[in-house]
Amino acid sequence: MAEQVKTRLFDDDRYMRWILIGPLLLFLVCFMLYPTLYSLYMSFTDYVMRGAPNFIGLDNYRAVLADDVFWAALGRTLYVLVLSISVELTLGMALALVLNRDFKGQGIVRGLCFIPLLVSPLSMSLMWNYILHIQFGVVNTVIGWAGFEPVGFLSTPGLALNTVAFITIWQWLPFSTFVLLAGLKGLPRDQYEAAQIDGASPWRIFFRLTLPMLKPLIIIIILLRTMWLMRLFDPLYGTTRGGLETELLDWMIYRVSFVFFDIGQGAAYALFALYITLIVGALMFKQLIKAMDGK
Amino acid sequence: MGRFLFWLAVGLMVFVFVFPVLWIYVTALKGPDDIFADNPFVFAPTLENFDYLINVRPSYWELINSMIMSVASTFFVMAVSLPAAYSFARFNTGNGHILFITISTRMFPGVVAAIPFFLLFRDLGLLDTHLGLSLLYVYFNMSFATFLLYGFFREIPESLEKAAMLDGYDRLSILRWIVFPLIKPGIAVTTMFCLIWSWNEFLFAFLFTRRIARTISVGQSTFWGSVEIQWGPMAALMCIAVLPTLLAAWIMQKHVIRGLTFGAVKG
Repeated sequence: MAEQVKTRLFDDDRYMRWILIGPLLLFLVCFMLYPTLYSLYMSFTDYVMRGAPNFIGLDNYRAVLADDVFWAALGRTLYVLVLSISVELTLGMALALVLNRDFKGQGIVRGLCFIPLLVSPLSMSLMWNYILHIQFGVVNTVIGWAGFEPVGFLSTPGLALNTVAFITIWQWLPFSTFVLLAGLKGLPRDQYEAAQIDGASPWRIFFRLTLPMLKPLIIIIILLRTMWLMRLFDPLYGTTRGGLETELLDWMIYRVSFVFFDIGQGAAYALFALYITLIVGALMFKQLIKAMDGK
Repeated sequence: MGRFLFWLAVGLMVFVFVFPVLWIYVTALKGPDDIFADNPFVFAPTLENFDYLINVRPSYWELINSMIMSVASTFFVMAVSLPAAYSFARFNTGNGHILFITISTRMFPGVVAAIPFFLLFRDLGLLDTHLGLSLLYVYFNMSFATFLLYGFFREIPESLEKAAMLDGYDRLSILRWIVFPLIKPGIAVTTMFCLIWSWNEFLFAFLFTRRIARTISVGQSTFWGSVEIQWGPMAALMCIAVLPTLLAAWIMQKHVIRGLTFGAVKG
C-alpha cells in the first residue's frame, strides 16, 4: 500500500513537479513574501526601532518623491549600472574572444583571470582604496615617477563615483568574460565552416552569426548584473562610505534604516527601488525566455 | 605582429586582474613603516602582521565561523535548489513565473530584506547566531543556485529519461542513475559559487553579527577604526581569507567554462 502511494506520487509528473519544488516554495514564502509584505506594512508607519509603529498613510512615499537626495542616489545608481554593464559586455566580449583561441598555458591564464570573481568584494574595495590612495597608493607613486601630479581617485567628488564603478567592473568583468567564453565554446562549428567557405569576413561572421547566437547569454548577463548592481554596497563600505557624491541607493537605505533607525522611511525607499528593479527585471526575463525558446 | 599583440593583451589582462590580489600579499608582509613608505616596492618583509592576528587580536574564531556558515548554508541551498531546478527544467513548473520570482529574490535591495529579518531575528533571539546568518545565506544564494542548476538540467536531453522510463525504471531510479551522474559538474560549480559567496558576503554579516557569529569579512572591516586604518593586519587577514577561494579557482577552472552557459546555448 505504502509502496503504491510512493509510486503514484513519484511517477506521476503532476505530483512530482510540486513535490520537488515544495521546499523552494516554502522558502520563498518565508524569505520573500514575508519581508516584502512586512516592508510594505512598515512603509506606511513611522516606526523608528522603539515604541509602537503608528500608521501615517502615504507620508513616507510623499517624502520619497520630494527627496532630492533619493533621486540623486537613484541617478547615480543608474549611471553606475549603465556604465558597468556596457563596459563589462564590450570588454568581456573582447577578452572572451582572446581567451577562446588555443594557446600555450591557456589553463593558467584562465585560472588567473578568474581570480577577481572569487575574492571578497569588501576585501578588494579596501585593497583598491589602499592601492589608489592619494598619498601612499602604489598607483599614485608610479604616476609621480612619470612626472604627473597625484590623482585623488577616491578623494575627488565626481571622480570617486567612477572609481567605485571601476572597482566593481574589475571584480565582475571575469563573470561576463567567462559566460561569453562558455557560450563561444558551445557554438556549433558547422555554421562557421559554411560561412567561411562562403567567404564571409570575420566582422560579418561575428555580427551575423556569433552575436545573435550569444544573445540569450548577453541577456542573462544584463539581467543578473542589473540585479547585483542595484544593490551595490561593499565597494562603498570599503572606500568612500557614501561621501563625495558617491551615495548609491543601497547605501542610502542603509543609512536611513540602520544609522537613523527610520525603518518606515527606509522601507518606503527600498520598495520604490524594488519596484524599479522588478519592472526592468521582468521585461528582461521575458526577452530571455523568448530568446532561449526561440531557437 | 599579431602574435605580439595577442600576448600583450593576455599579459595586460592577467596583470590587471592579478595585481591587486598580489598586492594584498605584499602589503601583508610589510611593517608599519613600510606601509606608508615613498617607495612601495622596496621593503623589509616581516611576519609581524600575522603575529598580530594570532596574539594581539585573535582571528581564528572568525575563520571558523565563516567556515561553519558557508558549509551549512551551501548544504541547505543545494537541498532546496537541486530538486526545484529539476522541476523547472523538466516540467516547466509555474510557466516561468515561479522561476522569475525565485531569481528576483536577489533584486530585493539587501538592506530592505535586512529590515524585516532584523526585527524578526531580534524577537526570535537569532541575532548574532550561526543559525540566523546561515538562513540568510540560504536566502542570499538560493536564487542564483537555482538559476545555474536550471541551466545544467536543461542540457540533459529529456529523451534519455523517456527511454529509461520505457525500459521500466521508476522515477527515483532514473534520477539516481541517469540524471545525477550528468548533473555532477553542475553541482560542483554551483556548490563552489555558493561556498565562495557566503564566505565573502559582508552586508548581512555586518548587520546581523556582533561577536559570537562574526565572520571573516566583518573581521576585516574592524581594522578600519575611528582613528586610522590598520592596513597591515587587515591585509594579513585578507590574504588568509583569500586562500580557500584561490584553491577553489584552481580546482574549478575547467568546469566553470563549461558550466556558465546557463543552458542558453545549445551546441
